[in-house]
Amino acid sequence: MQKLSRRKSSSRSGAASGLAELQRAITGALMKPLTADEEIQPSNAAVAERFIKPNDRLTALERLQIYSQQYWWRLLGAFGEDFSGLRAVLGEKKFDRLATAYLEEHGSVSWTLRNLGSQLTAFLEKNPKLTEPSTALALDVARVEWARVLAFDEPARKVVAPEKFARTPADRLRLGLQPYIVLLELSHPVDELMRRLKHTEFSAVSNAVAASENHKRARVTVRRSRQPVFLAVHRLENSVYFKRHDREAHTLLLALRDGATLGAACETAFADTTEAPEQCATKIREWFSRWAEFGWFCEPARR
Amino acid sequence: MPANRFNAFTAYGVGIGLRIPHYDHILGKKPAVDWFEIISENYMVDGGRPLAVLDQILEQYRVVQHGVSMYFGNAARPNREHLKKLKALTKRTQTPWLSDHLCWGSVDGRFTHDLLPMPYTWEAVEWTARNIREVQDFTGIPVAVENVSSYVEFHASEMTEWEFLNEVVERADCGILLDVNNIYVSSKNHTFDPYVYLDAVPAHRVAQIHIAGHTKFKKYLLDTHDHPVLDPVWKMYAHAIARTGRTATLLEWDDHIPSFGEVHAEALKANNFLPHAKALAA
Repeated sequence: MQKLSRRKSSSRSGAASGLAELQRAITGALMKPLTADEEIQPSNAAVAERFIKPNDRLTALERLQIYSQQYWWRLLGAFGEDFSGLRAVLGEKKFDRLATAYLEEHGSVSWTLRNLGSQLTAFLEKNPKLTEPSTALALDVARVEWARVLAFDEPARKVVAPEKFARTPADRLRLGLQPYIVLLELSHPVDELMRRLKHTEFSAVSNAVAASENHKRARVTVRRSRQPVFLAVHRLENSVYFKRHDREAHTLLLALRDGATLGAACETAFADTTEAPEQCATKIREWFSRWAEFGWFCEPARR
Repeated sequence: MPANRFNAFTAYGVGIGLRIPHYDHILGKKPAVDWFEIISENYMVDGGRPLAVLDQILEQYRVVQHGVSMYFGNAARPNREHLKKLKALTKRTQTPWLSDHLCWGSVDGRFTHDLLPMPYTWEAVEWTARNIREVQDFTGIPVAVENVSSYVEFHASEMTEWEFLNEVVERADCGILLDVNNIYVSSKNHTFDPYVYLDAVPAHRVAQIHIAGHTKFKKYLLDTHDHPVLDPVWKMYAHAIARTGRTATLLEWDDHIPSFGEVHAEALKANNFLPHAKALAA
């Protein structure tokens, strides 16, 4: 291989040679949202011309546009896949506006697109106008869909053997919950909404031509629930599931996750109950039997 | 010579990318495949289905890791957490070599998730080579850098792309993942002779070759990985193989992914160009 003779970085008029400067300027330009016609914003022309050569077919701005479009289409695509329920609740136009506003403020800060939605709930709380008049439902759906991302691939820790429950007194037994379990208190039956959406999507893909148009227009909604909905989003044999709970079960699991002993967690959970102690004990036994079957308990995290 | 130090002297044949739509077929039918290339970032997670599937694949097949977001060309040092996760995955997969792209893609912690082309400057040569060396040292595994397809050229460039590639790999002492489709796409977008590029590549550093399909638009070509390999790219592949000798080859198909059988059949066409393929298969 012939070695090139090393020269000092040359700088044409108007061209910057600093690598960091070039990267910062180009990134700033391509991350600006596209126009309504999905084109790069004309205001990026100065940056494009400063750094990028035109060719016989494309201006500097048109060449930069290829990257800007790819950036936005990739991020919007990934975000739309993770929040398909939110899209179905808000409708295409409103969802696209929300997605662009969110991604402009919270672009990806990770090597994986998996974390793209990590700030969505806080963003929706801060910007209720973007989801009006369905703000409360949108928030619930966003919480569930982000929980679904976590449940999919958060780590699983070693399961605590049920024998340990039996041999450790309740006032000394502390149990951790698997990191992939997310416990939610919702005001809408989002699990029902997600099932309905899945059914709609299935109908769409199984019914050829007419279906693709239906699929685009697919909207779903659910009414606010009279009572809070307590939902665990979890994983079993590498698939994600929703599990509804009583308020007491939800409170008990939260207390265990916060480090309470089993005894204290049960007391907290049933503090306001009017049920007889025997009935409470029966419930607890049934819950624990199911949860242990799911492998939900692990050693508590060190504090 | 079937291999070189940049692919750990292994003699891998024709592989395909491991993609989700093919999981069930591969795990159920266990088709004969020389090796699978995985996108490292898809498995740099802490649990769940991705790792469970990977472990099953590893029981049956050889796997090579290919990254998409190390961004050797960033004007910043490699992210330490990323490196740790990458190294942990290499221990799981026992990948004989690691590849990622000769590009940049994140600034101040914001990721584009794209493979942005470098300005071909001496400053960029130094940064990029240093970053590759750091990854190679940290993981203890040979690194091969892949040339990307590109749609822009920078005023600041002081050399051609192939000169830049050569300067970087010499300084980093690393391998090359030669993507012949990317050379073809860039040659059309920037009007250069792709065979001049191919002939300039140091053959002894080519650890692996990528082939793929692309899409023609009115004013440019786009590297879409959603088609079979086009004839001009096969022709370039034959030229590359004539220079490098038998080299691990991988077909990329990432969008509108057809059946496993169709993808694998397309990949196996590479055997028509690989020396001794029939003798080794017999």
